[in-house]
Amino acid sequence: MATIDVAVNPRFRRRVRTSGTRRRLPTSSRVAGGIVALLLLAALFAPLLTSQSPTVGVLGDRLQGPGAAGHLLGTDGQGRDILARLLYGARPSLLTGMIPVAVAGLLGTAFGLIAGLGKPLLHSVVMRFLDVFYAFPAVLLAIAIAAALGSGSSNAIIALSVILVPPVARVAEAETGRLRNADFMEAARASGSSWFSLAYRQVLPNIAPAVVVYCTALIGLSIVYSAGLSYLGLGIAPPAAEWGLMISDLQQYMFTTPALLIAPALAIVVASVSFNVLGDGLGSYLNVRSETV
Amino acid sequence: MKRGGLLKNGDAGTPAGASTGAHRAAAAAPAPSVPGKNTLRVRELSTTFVSGRREVRAVRSVSFEVRPGRTLVLLGESGSGKSVTARAVMRLHGPRAVITGDVTLGEVDLLAIDDAAMRGIRGDRMALVPQDPSAALDPLRRVGSQITEVLRLHGVVPDKASARARAIELLGLVGIPDPQRAFRSYPHELSGGMRQRVVIAMGISCDPEVIIADEPTTALDVTVQAQILDLFADLQRRLDTALLMVTHDVGVAADIADEVAVMYAGSIVETGPAREVLERPRHPYTQALLAAIPTPGVERGQLVAISGAPPMAGEDFPGCAFAARCPFVQPTCRTTPPPLVGVGSGHLAACPVINPITPGTPVLGPTLENSR
Amino acid sequence: MISFLLRRVLASVPILIGVSIVVFITIKIIPGDPVASLLGPTSTPEARAALEERLGLDEPLPVQYVQWVWHLLQGDLGTSISKQTQVLGLVLDAFWNTLVLTAFAALLAFALGISLGAVAALRRGKVSAAISNGIALVSISLPQYSVGLLLIIYVATGTGLFPTAGMYSAIGGGGWGDLFSHLVLPGITAALVPAGIIARMFRTTVIDVMSMDFIDALRARGMSERRILLHAFHNTTPTLLTIAGLQLGYLLGGVVFVETVFSWPGIGLLVFQSIAQRDLPVIQAGVIVSALAFVLINLVVDALHATIDPRMRAHS
Repeated sequence: MATIDVAVNPRFRRRVRTSGTRRRLPTSSRVAGGIVALLLLAALFAPLLTSQSPTVGVLGDRLQGPGAAGHLLGTDGQGRDILARLLYGARPSLLTGMIPVAVAGLLGTAFGLIAGLGKPLLHSVVMRFLDVFYAFPAVLLAIAIAAALGSGSSNAIIALSVILVPPVARVAEAETGRLRNADFMEAARASGSSWFSLAYRQVLPNIAPAVVVYCTALIGLSIVYSAGLSYLGLGIAPPAAEWGLMISDLQQYMFTTPALLIAPALAIVVASVSFNVLGDGLGSYLNVRSETV
Repeated sequence: MKRGGLLKNGDAGTPAGASTGAHRAAAAAPAPSVPGKNTLRVRELSTTFVSGRREVRAVRSVSFEVRPGRTLVLLGESGSGKSVTARAVMRLHGPRAVITGDVTLGEVDLLAIDDAAMRGIRGDRMALVPQDPSAALDPLRRVGSQITEVLRLHGVVPDKASARARAIELLGLVGIPDPQRAFRSYPHELSGGMRQRVVIAMGISCDPEVIIADEPTTALDVTVQAQILDLFADLQRRLDTALLMVTHDVGVAADIADEVAVMYAGSIVETGPAREVLERPRHPYTQALLAAIPTPGVERGQLVAISGAPPMAGEDFPGCAFAARCPFVQPTCRTTPPPLVGVGSGHLAACPVINPITPGTPVLGPTLENSR
Repeated sequence: MISFLLRRVLASVPILIGVSIVVFITIKIIPGDPVASLLGPTSTPEARAALEERLGLDEPLPVQYVQWVWHLLQGDLGTSISKQTQVLGLVLDAFWNTLVLTAFAALLAFALGISLGAVAALRRGKVSAAISNGIALVSISLPQYSVGLLLIIYVATGTGLFPTAGMYSAIGGGGWGDLFSHLVLPGITAALVPAGIIARMFRTTVIDVMSMDFIDALRARGMSERRILLHAFHNTTPTLLTIAGLQLGYLLGGVVFVETVFSWPGIGLLVFQSIAQRDLPVIQAGVIVSALAFVLINLVVDALHATIDPRMRAHS
């Protein structure tokens, strides 16, 4: 009986409830998830949430502190409403954080699957290839690539995608490697499954939780990095609103009106923390071992 | 050399077959107590794990004793509570375990002494040989230094040099060829059997009065198993240690046990001299267990299995835990926990159906606690 | 042990080659015609062709690559377009400064990370563990540029205890004390994220090690909890070393933001300034030197790892 049991793809095994309680997403993660949802909604509905323009300001109103009339969070050096810039800025900030992770998630998983399921030679080649990218301090490489391609959101996205692929690939490969010699894989191979079918139907559903959890946490990191690139002038161009850009913009006033800096900085931190907590919670909910690389 | 006639497929109560083992024959007569070595006595030991509001009663009112020079085997499936019992005796469970009852080694009440005193006893007067030898060794340190550490921890040797000498001596004692080399080796450089011997060497290093072996052969190849069992018997003879062995393998029990206690769902359901219990089992569970062992050479037929499944660890039930699967079950079985009934010299079984209680039958009180 | 090291060094070579190829490609993907931008729009086709030939840009790519590597190996990383000095010197100076900052930040990160991680692992379920976990979580989410700026605003200028920029004071500077006071704020800023990562990973490692069977066997032999912790810690060091290697790499790269905010004269600042000035040789060199340093650091870490864990020496 034991043999047949093991040959079943774990995905199909009935989840055995060892205790009486159901697995739940911890409260902290639910809160985090709520915050993420709020951020996404704010980004989506920015024009509805504020009547002010994020890019055009009234010079007469410049550098007002938070709580000024009509400007909840104050105005920047060009008289633009900070709250409006924050809300409109959520779009590029979140997008340039999430898109690279999505791209890296797909590519990285593909690499990981190929490396994990392929013959030893293929495995070595792919892993070595990834090692090369690992040899670079990640941020520096992103900067170098973004600088080479020129400033702009799309180039920043490309740069970030490149540096995020190796970590995802590593996680995918590690998980695939664990499953590779499982009995159910042998059973699938013995019944004539093609490589692609193996990868797609047997392995992918089993490694998906780990990869998804890792990618969720990676979004937090990516948001910080993309804002960082903008801070250095390598992302979206002014006068567009973006959180990192706002920080570099307001930096010059940090000794006179430091309070203005708090809004974008806090936004980045909140977004990052929320994604990280969400990732953690998902990890324990899906019973995935956390491995931060 | 060891297994055989004792275990026949089919009905219980078949007359004994061939003798079971050279070492058992040699130790046929109970060894006299040597001054200095004490008996391990366990009375009504219960172990409950508390987690939040949930309580898991893993061991229920278990009693036994192991005398110097004798071997008691706790026999049972996974989940029967045998390992929990063994570890409870050494107080190795964490703070979430509530242990009640009486455990004495000679004069010392093991459940009453403080942590420091218990640490002094562990490894010194009582030693545990754990299940997986590879996991019991620190992978980053040489084997020799791990042995000398135990020796120096319990003050058995005066200095480093004598510790080293004693360690090498111990390695030789457990049958490791080239003990000097083994002393310098790392765990991963040794084979599974060698590692188990090293762990046993650590166990006997301070000349303990009791050795508790938790499934010492499960992680090993069959051929190595036999050697390790020989080693245990040999060491016991030399050191006159009391040996408590936990296993699910009936063959191991047949090999090495002087007494056998069969555990099911946290209680002892049958206990007595090994020969008695294994040749003339008087509890339905023991009978079924022995009947389920396939014997090579016997005509092909269906494998005998015990229908149903054992209760989940800690599940509570009124009456007998085996009632759901028992071929002899009576209505009273489901409501009244069966006491251990005497059925022969030193042989007890917790089944009043097979062993009706008559005036004069020794009865040892209920073995299964009532549900709350 | 020696053979292990040799194997690792040999394994690094293809990686370094790969690194050089990546950097080379990065330069080549830059849009635009370098020759045209150098000579201006009024140049003649002949002049452009001549310059191309002089710069070796008319050769096929693989040949260009080999020429470039050849120069590299001789220590010739070109001339800085903006500063008109040898890039090698510039880069090495800057790198040394970055190294100082990185080392300090690494020490801080490990001290903080290990403490937080240990508390979180050993006091699970208690308040102190929850706090440690929380701190670690927030730590890894903090963008360095924000923290840096906050520290400058509120700590440096607010209390006047620490300087706001630079590596040494311009007036009357120099010496260890001066260096230290300049190191504190940027060091803390740079150390926060790695500290959080180390805390989380160390926590996992400690939990793993403590649940290993041999720890249980040690208890069965009568060892005190304190000694057991020592043994357990010993068993965490291999993983800790692996983490160290990774985090040092992260630090080397991440210092860009810290250096920019605090005007620390390191590689990060150099690269940043070069971006603004399109000073390609410097950017190239900065990335290469960083990668090289990272590979070397990993080699050292691997060697240490093999010293501690005998199993590593057994197989490649």
